Amino acid sequence: MMEVKDVGLSLSGRWLFQSLNLSIPSSSFIAITGPSGVGKTSLLRILSSKLSPTEGKITSMLKDGQDISMIFQDLQLANGASTLNNVLSGCLGRHSSFKTLLGFPKKEKETSLEWLRMFGLEKKARQWASTLSRGECQRLAICRSMLSSPTLLLADEPVASLDSDWANRTLHILKDSQKKRGGSVVCSLHDENQVEQFADYVLRLDSTNPDQWRWEKLAPLDA
Amino acid sequence: MNKPELPWHSRFDLLGITFLLFLAASLGALPSIEGSGRDLDYMGNLARFAAQFFPPDWSILDRTLSGLLETIQIALVSTLLAILLSFVISLGASRNVSPVWLLWPTRMLLNIIRTIPSLLWALLAVVIVGSNSLAGVIALTLYSVGYLAKFFSETFESTDQNSQNALKSLRASPLQAFQYGLWPNARPIIWSHCLWMLEYNVRSASIIGYVGAGGIGLHLKLYAESADSWNKFSLVLLCILFIVTMLDFTGEKIRKSIRDKLEGIKK
Repeated sequence: MMEVKDVGLSLSGRWLFQSLNLSIPSSSFIAITGPSGVGKTSLLRILSSKLSPTEGKITSMLKDGQDISMIFQDLQLANGASTLNNVLSGCLGRHSSFKTLLGFPKKEKETSLEWLRMFGLEKKARQWASTLSRGECQRLAICRSMLSSPTLLLADEPVASLDSDWANRTLHILKDSQKKRGGSVVCSLHDENQVEQFADYVLRLDSTNPDQWRWEKLAPLDA
Repeated sequence: MNKPELPWHSRFDLLGITFLLFLAASLGALPSIEGSGRDLDYMGNLARFAAQFFPPDWSILDRTLSGLLETIQIALVSTLLAILLSFVISLGASRNVSPVWLLWPTRMLLNIIRTIPSLLWALLAVVIVGSNSLAGVIALTLYSVGYLAKFFSETFESTDQNSQNALKSLRASPLQAFQYGLWPNARPIIWSHCLWMLEYNVRSASIIGYVGAGGIGLHLKLYAESADSWNKFSLVLLCILFIVTMLDFTGEKIRKSIRDKLEGIKK
């Protein structure tokens, strides 16, 4: 799906990582781990084409910037819009401006409500996003990204504000939904248990040695 | 050992200097309170004049209420028209939406509109469309556009752009990213500005009748110019005071509720 070859990133004269090689296969869950500031977010931004690497090359089978959706660490929701409309905005790329000028197609509304139900937010569909708790907002941002039906889902610490129950349920949903449509997830995580439980591969970044990264294939665990 | 010393002028920052300049200029302007120089009994005059306000003449209540209704109608229609015009113009005046060639001419136009006070707009409108409420609507619409378009454009510029950018990364068109990303965040603040403008326009619409632009102002003018009508004048003032206070109170409540809702419960 995507090949990363000899990629390095230097910011303000400091190398965050160097000589990074990895391959993102279809239907896989890839975890990125490492301490804060090591470059996990930057790597995800490079994969989403929002940031150019200092060196190296990325070959993608996906259409230029399309089929990729990112769950941002700072969520980037429309606080004055309803929870439902925030989810619905994930489908904008599928419809023309004219078609969405006065609202969204009924089918998209039904799918959005289904995502909200899956993430326990259906009763808050009409509430402004600003009135949700941080954890609810995080689940909402995930719903928005999932509605866009991405082939590659990039998730920057998607469960950081969730309790362990919701964190596990969320990672389950992300993994299963992406596998069903032959898509993949690349996800930065801190909890080693979650990595063991959900990841097919793990990329471990190291802050002290920018060229010391480890790419491991994990034994499948039937979570 | 030498004591560390700060230079004497280090205590003067921009705030201090401008305050001193303001103080000096104000003191220099004191001759303006000299008055005519004649020995008048100011307090006595005030007491005699104020006494004529009481008791207010309630017999003109019907007439006053109908004038007040026209005032509110002028304020409502002009605020609605101003909101529509301002929305379009403000897009041209917003740095993050408009190209530079459109940005500066639009801002210049808004500056010019704001330079002219509402009473002067009313005079101009009366000259063009005659002495009626249409003149009031035209005057207050133009006057309001000067402010509302500025407020709207500042809101678009200061509103969090992240959600708009997030939608662009989900392949939304610029119009869709504006409609579903920026606009929902800007809308509550913009509506607060609209409510404030409506309150302001009710106050303005109360006075523009003085120059013939419709509304209760005409009543004020008639009573002020005819002898022994200050008790009628005071009733009109009372009615205006009542309506403006109610609007202030309600508007502030609504604005606070919108602000609280937008700030949310995230801590």
